[in-house]
Amino acid sequence: MKNLMLCGVVATLLVFSGCSSKDPVVDAPTQEVEAPVAQEIQDVATETVSDEESNVDALSMSDLEGQLSSVYFDFDKFDIKSDMQEKISASATIAKTTANTFSVKLEGNCDEWGSDEYNFALGLKRANAVKKALVAEGIDASRVAMVSYGESNPTCSEKTKDCWAKNRRVDFKLLP
Amino acid sequence: MLFSFSFAEDVTIEVIKKVDSLPSLAVEDSSSSYDDTFKKRFFKSLVADMNVLSIFNVDRHYREIPFNDTSVLVANKDMNYVLRYKMFKDDSGALNVGMKLLKENEIVLNKNYKVSRKDIYMFISHAIAYDVNEYMGEPSVEWMKRKVIFSRIVEPKRSEIVIADYTLTYQHTIINGGFNVFPKWANKAQNAFYYTSLDSKTPTLKHVNMKTGALKNIISSDGMMICSDVSEDGKTLLLTMAKDGQPDVYTYDVNTNKYSRETRYNGIDVNGQFMSKNKIVFISNRLGYPNVFSKKIGSSEVEQMIYYGKSNSTCSAHGEYIVYKARESSNAFSQNTFNLHLISTKTDFIRRLTATGVNEFPRFSKDGDAIIFIKNYMAQSSIGIIRLKHNKNYLFPLKYGRVQSMDW
Repeated sequence: MKNLMLCGVVATLLVFSGCSSKDPVVDAPTQEVEAPVAQEIQDVATETVSDEESNVDALSMSDLEGQLSSVYFDFDKFDIKSDMQEKISASATIAKTTANTFSVKLEGNCDEWGSDEYNFALGLKRANAVKKALVAEGIDASRVAMVSYGESNPTCSEKTKDCWAKNRRVDFKLLP
Repeated sequence: MLFSFSFAEDVTIEVIKKVDSLPSLAVEDSSSSYDDTFKKRFFKSLVADMNVLSIFNVDRHYREIPFNDTSVLVANKDMNYVLRYKMFKDDSGALNVGMKLLKENEIVLNKNYKVSRKDIYMFISHAIAYDVNEYMGEPSVEWMKRKVIFSRIVEPKRSEIVIADYTLTYQHTIINGGFNVFPKWANKAQNAFYYTSLDSKTPTLKHVNMKTGALKNIISSDGMMICSDVSEDGKTLLLTMAKDGQPDVYTYDVNTNKYSRETRYNGIDVNGQFMSKNKIVFISNRLGYPNVFSKKIGSSEVEQMIYYGKSNSTCSAHGEYIVYKARESSNAFSQNTFNLHLISTKTDFIRRLTATGVNEFPRFSKDGDAIIFIKNYMAQSSIGIIRLKHNKNYLFPLKYGRVQSMDW
C-alpha cells in the first residue's frame, strides 16, 4: 500500500517591504520576514484489498514473476537484441499459460547517463518494444500496461560498464 | 553606437568584466547574541549572496566591529562600500538583523529584518542582497527570492519532493514516501505545484494547492505523464504523455481539461517548453539523436533549432533564448561530459556556459536574467547559478541525494 505523507507546506517565505533611506536613520522599522508555515494537505485515497485473497495471489504472483526474465538493451537504443528475443518468447509462454489470469506491467529503465524526460521516454520506448514483441507472440495488448522509471530504479549503482548495462532493461511485473 | 548597444544586450555574447573594475565591498559583523559557528555561517551566506549579485568585488575576510561605530574598520577604510550587520535574538526567540550599507563612512542604506527561527537565516541574507542590489540601481534580482522545487531519489522507486531557497541551503520536504517525480510550479506566485505520481498502475499528474492543502488528480497516461512547462498565465500546460506507448508533447487547457496532441513523430518527442504563448520548443530524436526543435502551437511545421552537439537531450526557453544540455562525448563505457550552451534564435552565436562535468536541469529565471542548474563534478554535486549578463557562474555544494528534476 502506498504511503504518501505530505509533510507540510512552505508558504510565503518572504515579504519585502520595510523602508530604506539614503540618510542615516536611527530607528528603521523592522521588516518582518515570514517563517514557512507548515500545513497538512489531504491524504491520498487508498484501497485495502482483502488480506486472505491478496496473500494467495501475492504468493503465486511473485513465484511467476520470478520466472519472467528482464530484457536488456544497448546504450541509447530501444530495439530488441536477437539474444533477448528468446527470453521474451519464454515470458510470453508463461503469460499465456500459468499467468494468464494476470495483467502484465512492463517497467522500462535506463542507465544514469541522462536524468531528464528524454531518458524516461527511452525507458518507455524499451517497454513498448517488449510490449510489441509480446503482442506478436499472441498476448492481448489490453493485458499489458507500461511505465517508465527513467534512471530512478537502478538495480546496480556502481560506476562500471557492467553495472550500467544491467540498468538498461525492462522488468516484468504481474498485476491482479 | 546603436549597433554596439544591441550587441551588448545579446546575452549569447560573453561580456568580460574585469573584477578590478567593480567597486569593492567588505562585510562587517556586529552580532553578539549568537555563537561563533552561527555567526560565521551567516557571514558566509551573506558574502555568497553579495558575490552572486556580480556588482561588487567582495572581500571575504570576517571582521567584527560595534554596530554604532561611526567609521569603518581600519582594514576596510579603502573599500568603496562596507556592509555592516548585527544579529540579535529578541524575547520571542526570533532572529533579528539590523543592516547598514556605508559609503565613505556615511550610511546610505539602513534596514531591519526578522525571521521567527534562526535556521531560516538564509532568507534574510537573500533579502539583504536583494535590497542592496535595488539601492545600487541594478536590474532586479527578484529570482533570489523565488523558491526552487525539486525531486530527489532516496532509493530505487522512492523519492521526496523538496522546496528550497535558490541556493538549496534551506530544504523543506513537502512530499515524502512514494515515488513522485517531475515537480513543476503551477503559477508565478509559487503557491501550487504539479508532480507525477508513479505509484499507481498508470502514471498520474497531480496538483497540490499549498494554500488549502488540496491534492487532486489532473490526468493519467499509460507509460509516461510529465508536466514539462506551465504557461505564463498558468492556464495551459505542456505535457509529455504516451498514449499507446508513443511519447508526444500535448497542450492541456487547465480550465476545460481538454488536451491536444502537438507532435506526431513516431519516435521520441518530449520536454515541451513555451518560448511564447503560441510557440514551443521540444526535444525529439527525429534525426536519430536527441535535439531541440520548435513549432507553433496547432501547426504541423517543425524547425530544427540547434546545429551543434551530438546529443542535446534537455532544454529550457525564455523568449528568444534557449539553454540546452549537450553531451560532449558519446561513450557507453566511460564518464561522459555534459555541458550547457545558450543560443539566441535571432543570431547564430552559441555560448558555452559550463566547461567540466555533468551539467543538467538548466532552468531560466522568470525574467531570463539567470539560469539555475545542477553540476556533478569529481564526486561532488552543486547547484549552479549563471549570471548571463555578468558572465559568471556560482556554485553551492549540495547536501545529499541525487536530484531527479527541478523547477524554479
